[in-house]
Amino acid sequence: MRMYLLIPVCAVALAVPVTVLANGGGRGFNGVVDAIESQYHVHATRIPFMGLISFVASRASHGAAGNLHVAEFENFSADVDGQELNRMVEQKLGNGWERVVRETSKAGHEQSLIFMRPEGARMGLFVVDKDSNEMDVVQVSVDPQHINEEVGHYTHHHGSNDASHDDSDSDKDKN
Amino acid sequence: MKMRVAAVLVLALAAMTCVARAQQEKLPEASALEKDLAARASDVTEVTLSKQMLAFAAQFMDKDDKDDVQTRKLIEGLDGIYVREYAFDKEGDITPEVVEKLRAHYMTGEWTPMVHERETKSHETSDVMMKIVNGEPRGIFVLEAEPKELTIVLILGPIRMEDLGKLHGISGLGSLNIVSKSTKASQGK
Repeated sequence: MRMYLLIPVCAVALAVPVTVLANGGGRGFNGVVDAIESQYHVHATRIPFMGLISFVASRASHGAAGNLHVAEFENFSADVDGQELNRMVEQKLGNGWERVVRETSKAGHEQSLIFMRPEGARMGLFVVDKDSNEMDVVQVSVDPQHINEEVGHYTHHHGSNDASHDDSDSDKDKN
Repeated sequence: MKMRVAAVLVLALAAMTCVARAQQEKLPEASALEKDLAARASDVTEVTLSKQMLAFAAQFMDKDDKDDVQTRKLIEGLDGIYVREYAFDKEGDITPEVVEKLRAHYMTGEWTPMVHERETKSHETSDVMMKIVNGEPRGIFVLEAEPKELTIVLILGPIRMEDLGKLHGISGLGSLNIVSKSTKASQGK
């Protein structure tokens, strides 16, 4: 009886690592960064205390921006095929992400990819941007409602300041 | 009796869902010809905004701004925006055959030509078409070709020519200027 139980348990134990290896590593942000590193033989500079920075950014923006991930590749001299990069990022990001913008310039060695994903009331943004010898990979989750309120608050405040400046200017003119 | 009523209601609901889905159109997949152009072009810009992404993007519009509210309504009503720009280093990649193949790929019976321009000297061509369903505008298609540049703009959903100006400000949709230019030119003639 024990033997019958042992066989499926061993099979599952073997299947799990095989499946993980077949998937070619992680998915999401780390999966994309790892894939870029291995494909173009470059090394990403990961910003230390990114989790803390993300937390602070989330608090400072009152939840408007959070889940921040940043990786920077310096001295990125390898030639990048735009379509190949796009395929790789799409594959590693997985389901749910939609590519909204792709810009490729062969002469300037520039590549830009912007992906979006609805995350409940929030929106996930994933950006890959290569400019000559540097590539940046950024993932952030934003709350459109909060951003609107923050921007609105700033513009209204700024607008009222402008209005008060105008008033004071006109008062000066009168005087 | 109750079972029959329930069955009729379920069927009616299913039929309504099918009609609603049929009215909501999906953006096309890039054709083989476009993929080939993208592979050969020196500069490529692709913007693809599905209905879901447009609805989400619309939330970034200011609720208190009158212009933004109008643009938000317009964007939320659209089924999708598809823009492709291909620029080449040298002339010869964009032949009249390529333009004609692309035109044929996108056109179906519901599209009505609005602008059809061919300049023999500069080898520039412009096509603007509107999709009309039951007398209502349901889409705009623009195909603009120059010797070294090709632009495709496809907007699906209830949109009128005069609404295009509202979309100019959205990042990546600068090529909509072409539509305005083409339509103004046709109206001037």
